[in-house]
Amino acid sequence: MDFVQVQNLCKNYPDAALGEFKALDNISFVARAGEVFGLLGPNGAGKTTALRILATILQPSSGSVRIYNFDVTEQADFVRHSIGFVSNNTAIYDRMSAWEFVEYFGRLYALPADRLYPRMEKIFRTLQMEEFRDCPGVKMSTGMKQKVSIARALIHDPPVLIFDEASLGLDVMVARALQSIVMDLRDQGKCIIYSTHIMREVERLCDHVAIIYKGKLLDTGTLEELADRHEQNDFEELFFQLLTKGDKGHFDAKPPVDLGMRIRTASTASQGRAL
Amino acid sequence: MNWSHVKLIFHREVRDQLRDRRTMFTICILPLLLYPLMGMVMLQVAQFHREQHVSIGIFGYENWPSDSPLILDSSDPSQIRWETLTVDDSIGATLEQFQSVQAQTNSEVKNKSTESYIVNGKAAEKLLRQVHCDAVIWVPPGYHNSISINPLVILSNQRWERSQLAIRLLAEKLEGWHLSWIRTQLAWTELGTALVDPLAIRQLDVSPPEVKRALVWTKILPFVMLIWALTGAFYPAIDLCAGEKERGTLETLLCSPARRKEIVWGKLLTIMCFSMGTALLNLASMHTTTSIVMTQFSQLGATDMVASLGPLPLHSMGWLILLVIPISAMFSALALAVASLARSTKEGQYYLMPLLLVGMPLVMLPMIPGVTLSHGTSVVPVTGAVLMSRALIDGEYGLALLHLPTVIAVTLYCCFLSKRWAIRQFESESVMFRDSERSSVAQWIRNVWRQREDTPTSNESILCGLLIIVGLFFGRLSLSGMPLSWTSVVQSTLVIQVGIILAPALIMATMLTRCVRKALRLHRPRPLEMMAAASLAVCLHPTFMAFAAEVGKEYKLGEQTNSMLMQFDSIISSTTIWQVLLMLALIPAICEELVFRGFLFAGLQRNGGQLRAILVTAAFFGLSHGVLQQTITASVMGLMIGWIAYRSGGVACTIAFHATHNSISMLLAWYSNRGLNSPHYLSWAIEHSDGHLAYTSTWCALSVGIAITLIAWFATRGSVLSNPRSSIGMNDLHQQRVTFTA
Ligand SMILES: Nc1ncnc2c1ncn2[C@@H]1O[C@H](COP(=O)(O)OP(=O)(O)OP(=O)(O)O)[C@@H](O)[C@H]1O
Ligand SMILES: [Mg+2]
Repeated sequence: MDFVQVQNLCKNYPDAALGEFKALDNISFVARAGEVFGLLGPNGAGKTTALRILATILQPSSGSVRIYNFDVTEQADFVRHSIGFVSNNTAIYDRMSAWEFVEYFGRLYALPADRLYPRMEKIFRTLQMEEFRDCPGVKMSTGMKQKVSIARALIHDPPVLIFDEASLGLDVMVARALQSIVMDLRDQGKCIIYSTHIMREVERLCDHVAIIYKGKLLDTGTLEELADRHEQNDFEELFFQLLTKGDKGHFDAKPPVDLGMRIRTASTASQGRAL
Repeated sequence: MNWSHVKLIFHREVRDQLRDRRTMFTICILPLLLYPLMGMVMLQVAQFHREQHVSIGIFGYENWPSDSPLILDSSDPSQIRWETLTVDDSIGATLEQFQSVQAQTNSEVKNKSTESYIVNGKAAEKLLRQVHCDAVIWVPPGYHNSISINPLVILSNQRWERSQLAIRLLAEKLEGWHLSWIRTQLAWTELGTALVDPLAIRQLDVSPPEVKRALVWTKILPFVMLIWALTGAFYPAIDLCAGEKERGTLETLLCSPARRKEIVWGKLLTIMCFSMGTALLNLASMHTTTSIVMTQFSQLGATDMVASLGPLPLHSMGWLILLVIPISAMFSALALAVASLARSTKEGQYYLMPLLLVGMPLVMLPMIPGVTLSHGTSVVPVTGAVLMSRALIDGEYGLALLHLPTVIAVTLYCCFLSKRWAIRQFESESVMFRDSERSSVAQWIRNVWRQREDTPTSNESILCGLLIIVGLFFGRLSLSGMPLSWTSVVQSTLVIQVGIILAPALIMATMLTRCVRKALRLHRPRPLEMMAAASLAVCLHPTFMAFAAEVGKEYKLGEQTNSMLMQFDSIISSTTIWQVLLMLALIPAICEELVFRGFLFAGLQRNGGQLRAILVTAAFFGLSHGVLQQTITASVMGLMIGWIAYRSGGVACTIAFHATHNSISMLLAWYSNRGLNSPHYLSWAIEHSDGHLAYTSTWCALSVGIAITLIAWFATRGSVLSNPRSSIGMNDLHQQRVTFTA
């Protein structure tokens, strides 16, 4: 099932110098249930912009985005109930404890108490957050904060999860924990959009990727498809090549891939699960 | 709107603020500490003040007439400490010098025996320091015998505050002495003392003491409360908007199920809560402290002061608490909108000043002596509410009830506008996710040029309006010295209309838009509509005159203004009517319409802002008439003209309306002043009364009917048609304006 459908998405920011700045230019991709979709791109590529549109925080300038078959502009309320959004910008409140924070959002999602508290207990246990559940936000480390953010995004059990550079600033231990959380979620059949520019993470986690650069979609497909198409097995090298070509304007915006033909690569998947 | 979201957000924000030490300090601790501390300082100062004495030295007291001593005895309770000094050689020499100064200037001095001369030069200051006195009197030898030849010499140094006080006290003392001396002299004659005391007065004040005590408080307390309401709103607002943006928690909230509107409501209620809390806590703390301090004062014996500034009556607190609610609501919404513009708390602090600058005049206005609740003041936001609470405290319930609907309507509307502004801020991506400005000023200007459109933007329009208002302010100042003559009237009309009003709009239209014709809303005139507009002007003229007369009654013109108007009338009547119509009717109509209903209207009506365009251009149009009465009448007319401009889609009709209106006013004034009667065939509409031409009641009634018909005609014409409507009676306005500038 296509949980996330992005079609010809464009986003312009008003810009004093250029009048309009095209942060996203005709982006299309599809992400399905039970997969991790990697959104890759260098700094300033437009990843955050795209994911904010998916999370209904920003409005698209044109194009359509459907999440869980709800339109982000027309059915924003439904979309919000269907997503959990974690980014390095979605911080937590300084003067609230982890427990209060998650409870607050749970109640905003209108979860009844008899469902909310058991779910909170479960999430706190799974994410190993019990020892700092009464710790106020100011006193938490980056890793703890990120866990609280994830707990917040999971509280209403959404079908789609959006992670925007969620591993930023995390140490190896926590980053791995995060990866295993993501893989667990995938195995539960959730659709996960995962943006990063760490290639090792991509190789480990992502089933599908889309590479964007300066607001344009350079290529999209499974890791194998990309490797075959560009005759390059080292993914970091491949990424670099694509960007260099993109700079020279060798790519047109339209990816030569048929999104429907998707082969899950055993290697990446098994590699991921092994962790 | 999901109110459960609002409630959740509200609870969380309040709890969050209560956990914040800084907020708690400014909102709770500070008021609790501030007033007791201030009270303590006041008590100390008062004690210190009471003990302040000035010392006045007297040289040559032996020369003072001994039968009525100036210095009574040591039990004299005044603040003056007298020092009788003896003249030694060096001091004698200095005093001699002053006597010569004295002699030189004496001729210019009016026949006053005690005149103090501030003698330039170090000698006097040295002398004062030498004898350790704040002021010195010298009674010259022979003073007793020849007062008019040898006046008293008083030396002081007005640079020193104590010296100022000494002179003031001394003057009182001498005055008293003077009177008692006259009484003594009169007692010797047959006349009796009735000559100096022709009146026996017993003054009675009938106001109840507690109302009188409230009097000072009614001026001070609303001010204090408003300041705290604003402060109490502002800091939480910054923390709730800019602070959340800075810390990144806003994005967390924005992707939650809470809608922007609900977020705004939640935050707004929180801010209101704290704004009200701060104001009330300050009020309570101030009340307690003053009650205690005042009791202390009365124990200290300063009874006069306590009488005028006694403890605050409790019932007035109730009215003040009522005042807090609407004011807090308004300030909170304003603070929220302003704070949401800021990217960081630091940036947010910068916005406090502009907000204070806007709020302060509204708060200060009720403190001006003589400003009371009236039709005029009740429509001013904040001011109306403050005056209302004051009327309630003073027990003038009838007056308060009369203006209650207006004040409530104005306050609610302001609250609504501020709230809507705040919600718009939250819905605007460019505000919520503002990038740091990446371009330079030069780039920005280039961009403005490159992105010109057919019509100006609303910001450009507003800027143009402001430029014109500022230009008119300085223009009028510089023209005000001109002599009153027809030439100067022509000059000032041209300078103001073409130079100050039209020029900025024309320049901006040329530089900032691609199409001057569209920017000024010039369209092909439709004769039928223009005629209808002109007719409407004719028919609305009696109504406008009546309205202007009402306004004139409510806000009286000053003496000076009136005499200038008379002069102006006589200037007009000494000129040919064609010149008057050209200079005072046609040219102003064209210039003002091109600017207000042209350039300004074009920019403001973009994106469906027709109502905004009508309101704002009317306000600017009113403000461009420098005197309050004209501002009011012109603003109301501006609404009408604006509506016509909207219905007709251009300026042709409004020019026709405006010019017609002006012409009628000019014709009436011209004929009246020449003492001419109106043509015979118009006798059914215009009559001669009191040496003026006036409308007959037949025409007044008829005109209203025709005007309504014409308005209906305009209103029902399809919007496809661009019908120029009426522009209203600007004639008198011009007339007056020119008068003031000339
Ligand atoms: N609110 C905004 N206003 C104007 N321009 C913006 C705004 N937000 C982002 N941009 C611009 O849009 C482009 C894409 O930004 P975005 O944050 O989406 O990139 P990103 O791929 O997430 O980069 P990074 O890897 O650094 O997070 C950048 O050039 C950025 O400067
Ligand atoms: Mg980013």
